[in-house]
Amino acid sequence: MWQFIPTLLGVVLLVFFLFNWVGGDPAYILAGKIANPERIEEIRRSLGIDQPYWVQLWIFIKQIAVADFGASWSTNERVAQIFATRLGPSLTVLLPLLIISTVLALAAAMLVAYYRGSLTDRAIMIGCTVGQSISILVYILVFQYLLAYQLGWFPVQGWGGTLAENLLGYAALPILVGVVVSLAPDIRLYRSFFLEEINQDYVRTARAKGLGEGRVMWLHVLRNASIPVITNVMTQIPGLLAGAFLIERFFSIPGIGREVILAVERSDFPVIKAVSVYVAVATMIINLAADLVYRALDPRVQLK
Amino acid sequence: MRLLFLLLGLSAVGAQAADPAKILRITFQAAETGFDPVKVSDYYSGTVIEAIFDPLLTYDYLARPAKLIPNTATALPQIGDGGKTYTVKVKPGIYFADDAAFKGSKRELTALDYVYSIRRFLDPKNRSPYAFLFEGIAGIETPERYTLVIRLKQPDYNFAHVLAFSLSGAVAREAIEAYGDESAARPVGTGPFRLKRYVRSSKIVLEANPGYREVMRDGKRLPLIGGVEISIMEETQGRWLAFQRGDTDIEYQLAEVAPTFITAEGKLKPELARRGIRLERSIDPEIIYLYFNMQDRTVGGLGKEKIALRRAIAMAYKVEDQIRIIRKGQSIRAHYPIPPGVAGHDPDYRSSIAHDPRAANALLDKFGYRKGADGHRRMPNGDPLVIRYSSTPSERDRQFDELMKRSLDSISVRLEIHKDRFPELIKLENQCRLMMRGAAWIADYPDGDNFMQLLYGPNTGQSNNACYRSPEYDQRYEKSRLLPHGPERDRLYREMARLMETHTVWLLTDSRYRNVLMQPRVKGFMKHPVLHAEWLYIDIELLR
Repeated sequence: MWQFIPTLLGVVLLVFFLFNWVGGDPAYILAGKIANPERIEEIRRSLGIDQPYWVQLWIFIKQIAVADFGASWSTNERVAQIFATRLGPSLTVLLPLLIISTVLALAAAMLVAYYRGSLTDRAIMIGCTVGQSISILVYILVFQYLLAYQLGWFPVQGWGGTLAENLLGYAALPILVGVVVSLAPDIRLYRSFFLEEINQDYVRTARAKGLGEGRVMWLHVLRNASIPVITNVMTQIPGLLAGAFLIERFFSIPGIGREVILAVERSDFPVIKAVSVYVAVATMIINLAADLVYRALDPRVQLK
Repeated sequence: MRLLFLLLGLSAVGAQAADPAKILRITFQAAETGFDPVKVSDYYSGTVIEAIFDPLLTYDYLARPAKLIPNTATALPQIGDGGKTYTVKVKPGIYFADDAAFKGSKRELTALDYVYSIRRFLDPKNRSPYAFLFEGIAGIETPERYTLVIRLKQPDYNFAHVLAFSLSGAVAREAIEAYGDESAARPVGTGPFRLKRYVRSSKIVLEANPGYREVMRDGKRLPLIGGVEISIMEETQGRWLAFQRGDTDIEYQLAEVAPTFITAEGKLKPELARRGIRLERSIDPEIIYLYFNMQDRTVGGLGKEKIALRRAIAMAYKVEDQIRIIRKGQSIRAHYPIPPGVAGHDPDYRSSIAHDPRAANALLDKFGYRKGADGHRRMPNGDPLVIRYSSTPSERDRQFDELMKRSLDSISVRLEIHKDRFPELIKLENQCRLMMRGAAWIADYPDGDNFMQLLYGPNTGQSNNACYRSPEYDQRYEKSRLLPHGPERDRLYREMARLMETHTVWLLTDSRYRNVLMQPRVKGFMKHPVLHAEWLYIDIELLR
């Protein structure tokens, strides 16, 4: 737990110095088309960026302590409000995406691991290699054109007012794209986890005891292979929240990823600060949660 | 009694509300920032604000070039004191849209609302990007409830355009005070539409303001449509597919895929025309140009050899390639500093700077820019000659970098590309520390003054990005400020344009087309050069 503090401090320093080093002076964007030096100074003063760096850094640390990052520099919307309203759309896409892709990848990985070296294994692995080599942009553009525009199975893009409308309508194609994109690397990775387990002594023992192949694979092998799978799934979550910007942007989903891109485009430091801190905190909490899940799955794991 | 019923019936026809079934569906290609008029500078927020708030003046929807007409004012302003005093009367009986901020009572628009709205631009705590438009005001008075007297520091015959500026619409003090920081999401105006639903950066739904005053056109009360549904769609493919599927009614921003729906002659492709889709094509009131920093040690100054260097670079730059390759044919060559559709534009003016690398090379030879052993030219004093061209790290700017490289290669001048983030480039530009860069200016109001001020010496460090200071130019500009639009001012503008060209401060490149696509059901749309929310005048044909 105490590791949280130095980790967070490292993130804070990195974000702060990166923004001040490469972020550009937002006063020149906010000043509009014609601004005299006095007006630019006024804006810098009102944003607090005329203060010495150490004062700005201290304000940043205090904001983290009270979890209040103020208001967006470009829209004046409270940062807390931004996250509260953008989290829902992001989760509407990401949770089903993560669940479906994990279940499908586990099933496919177990299948190819079981039939290791067979034609099925090689065909799926070649398919995964090809699938992994294609950019997510291509998937988005092709799926949007074929499935939404040509076949009319989904809306091209957009976002509705209710969860049902979004889940069954607008989010369906983004979820499909996300699942297809993540399947290939996940199958390859999980296959290696399963292969490692399949060759263990306890599997041979289970078979020698006369257990059926289904029980051996789904109960014994899956349970032991789950630990690295859980690590992979859980560590993906915070990154996905902020990193799903391409899907959110192309399908016009008002989620956190799209907001992050907007904030970067507008040099909107309060939003950038909040995203960085939240992602860092979420990563640490999820890592801790993953450790607790390991313990639940395997009593031999000791938490210190 | 029958007479009473008849009168009530007639009154009901006169007050016929906009048809709620007629919903116009459009897209924005970038997210809005909010709807508080003083706090925004982006096109998208400005367009919505234009539909919700009412400036004193506006532009005739059909007149070209743009023509000022009264909006909430009873008439155009009376200009007195040699262009220093503007007197405007507000029409009585105009009301703000009903809102909780008014605590259940009707709230009438008065002259004081405009005073409050204008003063907000000048309040430093609002950080208004358009404060510069109002900085010439010396004082505002309201001698009576509906009369507004604006006194200016200097004579300005163009100030009426500021009163028609879409962001100068009246806000109500009660609403601003009630909503505070949330005022950007809770706009309350007197305009034809009001905000019905708002999901930031995603969906903006407007509905016709039921309390909108009586504005008639062709015997019909405006607005004709019941609402506007705006979806924010950043990516071109999505917008284009959505339009083709009929999910949207008007598509304003498809420049990247224009060759897929426009022929080489600028007409709509027959397969789309057969579906009843229509194209409205106009030139944006903008200029795009390359500027030289006139204070730079290498390219700046008014010495003959410096002018020759700038002229040679301008002659080497192939504007035609910029239009053909980078713009994909969706722009026209700009010759005059004032673009078409803006008062003061001279359609007959032709730039004297033509693409001619051979003449450019001869000019450099003549003024002593000789080639060195490495094949590149050197300064007349033998120092290395390096042109530093600044641009952002975007894909679009990379195309400009390549064109610039090819152009300077044709005159054997070494090019150095300086990459930096947009705010940093603006900062360096304001400090006159860039050597050369591309820039664009779109009209804030459709008058030549808005463009000619870009080269006025005292505007150095603000809008005069070339840091150009020429007493001859400045004298003419100051004289032009005292004149209303007319032949005398146009003559001055022509002289100023030639002077700029003689000094080769800018190379004017192009002005972009705006290609607006419409579904067959959209009626009455005409792209206005200044107004962006033409929704007030649009009708939609409902399917039977």
